Amino acid sequence: MRPENYEAKRQPPSNEFELNFGPNHPGIEGNYAFRVKVSGDIVLEGKADAGYLHRGFEKLMENRLWIQNIAITPRICVPDPVPMEVIYCLSVEDLCGQEVPARAQWLRVLQMEMSRFAAYLFYFGGLGSTNGMYTPHYWGMADRDLILDLFEELCGGRVYHIYNIPGGVRRDIPDGWLERVSSTFDYLESRLKDYDDLVFRNQVFIRRTRGIGVLNQQEALELGVTGPNLRACGLPFDVRRDDPYLVYDQLDFDLPTEDAGDNLARALVRRADLFEILRIIRQVIKALPDIDGPIRAPIPNPLAWNVPAGETYQRVESSKGELAWYVVSDGGDKPYRAHVRGPSQTHAVQVLEHLAKGARLEDIAQIMFSLDACPPEVDR
Amino acid sequence: MSKELARWMDDLLQEIDTLKFERKNERRVRVDVDSKSVHSLLELLRGRASFVHLSAISCVDWIDEGQFELVYHIWSYEMNTLVSVHTRISRDSCSYISVYDIFPNCAFYERDIHEMYGMYFEGSPCMDKFILTEWDGPPPMRKDFDSEAWVNEHFDWQDYHPDWLQELETQGGGIAIHPEEQRFSRRNKE
Amino acid sequence: MSKRIDWKALGSILSPLKNVQFLARPAITESLEPRVAAPNYRGFHLNAWDECIGCSTCQKVCDNAAITMVKVPELPNDPVKGVRNLRPAIDYGRCCWCALCVDICPTASISLSREYVHTCFEEEIDSYFMLPREQGMHGKDYGKGWAKSEDADMVDLHRQPMEEVAPEDRVDNFEEIVAGFTRQQAILEASRCVQCGMCHDSCPTHMHAPEYIRAIWQDDVEEAVRQMYRSNPFSHVCGRVCTHRCETACSIGRRGEPIAIRWLKRYAMDAVPHERIREIVAEQKPQFISGRSIGIIGAGPAGLTAAFDLARQGHSVTVYEALAEAGGMTRYGIPYYRLPPEALDNDVDVIVSMGVEIRYNTRVGSDITMEELQRQHDAVLLAIGLQMGRSTRIPGSDHARVFRAVDLLRMAGAGEDFETPRQAIVIGGGNVAMDIARTLARLQKQHYHEVKITVLAMEREADFLADPVEIREAREEGIHIIDARGPREVMVENDELTGLKTWRVKAIFDEQGRFAPT
Repeated sequence: MRPENYEAKRQPPSNEFELNFGPNHPGIEGNYAFRVKVSGDIVLEGKADAGYLHRGFEKLMENRLWIQNIAITPRICVPDPVPMEVIYCLSVEDLCGQEVPARAQWLRVLQMEMSRFAAYLFYFGGLGSTNGMYTPHYWGMADRDLILDLFEELCGGRVYHIYNIPGGVRRDIPDGWLERVSSTFDYLESRLKDYDDLVFRNQVFIRRTRGIGVLNQQEALELGVTGPNLRACGLPFDVRRDDPYLVYDQLDFDLPTEDAGDNLARALVRRADLFEILRIIRQVIKALPDIDGPIRAPIPNPLAWNVPAGETYQRVESSKGELAWYVVSDGGDKPYRAHVRGPSQTHAVQVLEHLAKGARLEDIAQIMFSLDACPPEVDR
Repeated sequence: MSKELARWMDDLLQEIDTLKFERKNERRVRVDVDSKSVHSLLELLRGRASFVHLSAISCVDWIDEGQFELVYHIWSYEMNTLVSVHTRISRDSCSYISVYDIFPNCAFYERDIHEMYGMYFEGSPCMDKFILTEWDGPPPMRKDFDSEAWVNEHFDWQDYHPDWLQELETQGGGIAIHPEEQRFSRRNKE
Repeated sequence: MSKRIDWKALGSILSPLKNVQFLARPAITESLEPRVAAPNYRGFHLNAWDECIGCSTCQKVCDNAAITMVKVPELPNDPVKGVRNLRPAIDYGRCCWCALCVDICPTASISLSREYVHTCFEEEIDSYFMLPREQGMHGKDYGKGWAKSEDADMVDLHRQPMEEVAPEDRVDNFEEIVAGFTRQQAILEASRCVQCGMCHDSCPTHMHAPEYIRAIWQDDVEEAVRQMYRSNPFSHVCGRVCTHRCETACSIGRRGEPIAIRWLKRYAMDAVPHERIREIVAEQKPQFISGRSIGIIGAGPAGLTAAFDLARQGHSVTVYEALAEAGGMTRYGIPYYRLPPEALDNDVDVIVSMGVEIRYNTRVGSDITMEELQRQHDAVLLAIGLQMGRSTRIPGSDHARVFRAVDLLRMAGAGEDFETPRQAIVIGGGNVAMDIARTLARLQKQHYHEVKITVLAMEREADFLADPVEIREAREEGIHIIDARGPREVMVENDELTGLKTWRVKAIFDEQGRFAPT
């Protein structure tokens, strides 16, 4: 809400106060607002308020050629852009009945996991900051930068990669790139010990996060929680394993879970996930050199590309949970409808509102960050 | 176990006359159903076939047919199957009944569809504005709302005139084709 | 290290001492100095102006309408060569650095630089609107980053293959050689088009080629026919024998094979039934009649095209043709294996259906006088064409068995007997030379079952005037072609032709560019 449109209402005397948390607040993730009603420091009710980052991507996509939309997709979720690109490509490929070359599929898996790792580092930084621990943020950003360097080498873009296109990927990997990926992730693995000391074994962090924002299994299922947040409630579900796409069914990885369902459990699940990501990345690095062949299926002229009429619902596991797109084509050169279902549409709205009830004011930011809410996914 | 369940579900759904059933692949099922039966079908699938997770509700505006299509994507963690329940609502009536009592997490999607398409859901906990707080135009995701035209009406194109352009103009050159004249996507619309 | 954290474990009281180790580790520093980015980096645009042809394909694919085409008067602008003096200017307030413009650029002139951070002085920049050149923005050259590569190219450089009758099956008859596209092939071929309109600009009649190619891609052949008849009533003929300057100018042809625009036109004309073509063209019939009458002398392509255009404007048109059939040089100058007479008949029929009257066997001067025409019509158009052939004017060229190609083609077309020679020499290396050589080859094959034709071209093989396709096909049919030879004297003994003396040609044009072979 713009300040000039805000009218202070005279309220009856009460010990309840309304507080606008965001959209410009260091404790809020991105351009998002959370309006809370407090009595003392106990939150009686919280209301999510989105719209500060609405760019109308779904509408824009209906006005752009199929190929042009690849530039829009990564912008829907900035910290973790690759799943957005990949899922759009999967949707178009499914509508076209296009077969994607194996090399492109493995490259996509590698990018998705690299992006997931980078997003988790971002997450630890954010979660640390909400507890007044700023070092994880500095470290997380610096280490994430190493992954961005790899992306820069791969596709010329650090944050918005625009590397996947329907049919495959845009170009092959540069010489010696896999070795650099390998050595970078070796270094990052060696850093995890430092993160443990700094955050996860740190009693300040543990005591600050344990038992806060507790979500039990039944609530989690009812509210449609997915991804790491669901695994933190002890439910080992993951789109990569249950509804495999690309070549995830050929990869070996576990789904770490925690039982507590609180902020600490959500952080620990992601910490344990890092090891699984490393496992997957190493499997890809080992397999990729033996997978020859094209990196892209032949695609039509982008200016004369009609996708056959139909509809498709594709799901992938992003770093935040289940990401799904519903894409409809009417046989034209532009999507008829593209609906983005981001995991944060659940986590940042209903789950956050649910967890905020009865929480203490200083925990709100922490709960939001521990859910890894991504406002651009809500707003689109 | 899950395979048997899937077969059981397929058989059952095929038995129902008013329902069009299509198995697209191992983990995707499409069901087309009359708008009156959506709730009972969803309740059946959730209660008896473990489809506890409402993944999303999508809305598609089929303006030529005068209909909105609502698609309920529901996922079963036990059967690892996604059922997409499609139904059509008249564009004129533009209201429907919420599935809040079956899937509480529908609130966001229903609120979003209400905001973007103007479809009212009775029984949904909150139909307030969410993303477009200060928007008073028509629901923007409807096909008859032309966002590009709206932008052109309300904003001016920035008219840059850097030095190099002025220099070219003195030589008889200058801007020949404006981008908005030749946007490929736009030209096809005509 | 363990995958699970035991959060109950308090750890040692000495744990904080671990921090001491960080004193020995190097700090992570990100420099603010300008740095060169990765070799594939998508930085600012670079555009090689001498390669760019101003086709504005980048503008069409641009996601955010960031590209404006700007006219640069100092650059060449030659529609025939397919070069425009337009260059893309980028609005960096809109660009999203997706590099689709690079991947689709037909000429590969656009690339993105490796410039990671751009810094410049205030006097250098007054907006985000830039006209990129090869050197980089404000002369800061960091080299090419993301550029065209084979795996990232989004332009399809290869034509759909065209079925042809094999040389041994075609050399003894006048059946049409080229099979024409199938529906599938035509749609795929049309889909390669980037709609730059170079073909439209280079076409002598400015046919709406982008529009009809698009219509063919959309599988709407009737719309394609409608677009063709906007500017050319001879679409059957031009779909077969046009010199297709459009294909020479086609921007896809810069790096690959140009769109087969001529064959696409032929496909669309053949795909629509003749009756339906007449109905489509009838949509262009005028709403009112002007009441004026126009006489046109000559029912060749020029006369009939004028007749069609005038009839569309509501005038009453009468065409006077000296011969028994319409078409002029298209009927009497083009061998049937390239243009079957039925195709021409169809075109003429459509023109007549627009209300044009053709009076055959009416030679102006003998059957009707010019004065009569001027009296009958409000205006008279002379469209008599160039019916006279050219002679080499070398000694001996006045011999009865030395023919001009145009006359011989007319005789062959009309079925007149001129005693097919057992051996023949064709002077010239253009398309007409190939026509007559290949016509004679067919007649020889029919009469004597062997081909004995020699073609003398003045040009060197690399600069032959005839279409490369014609040269290839002539050779396939057993015609011998000698390059860089000019005629010197026709040798005659006892009134019989015995041979031809030739010169070796060093240069065809003099320094002023006039025709003066030496």
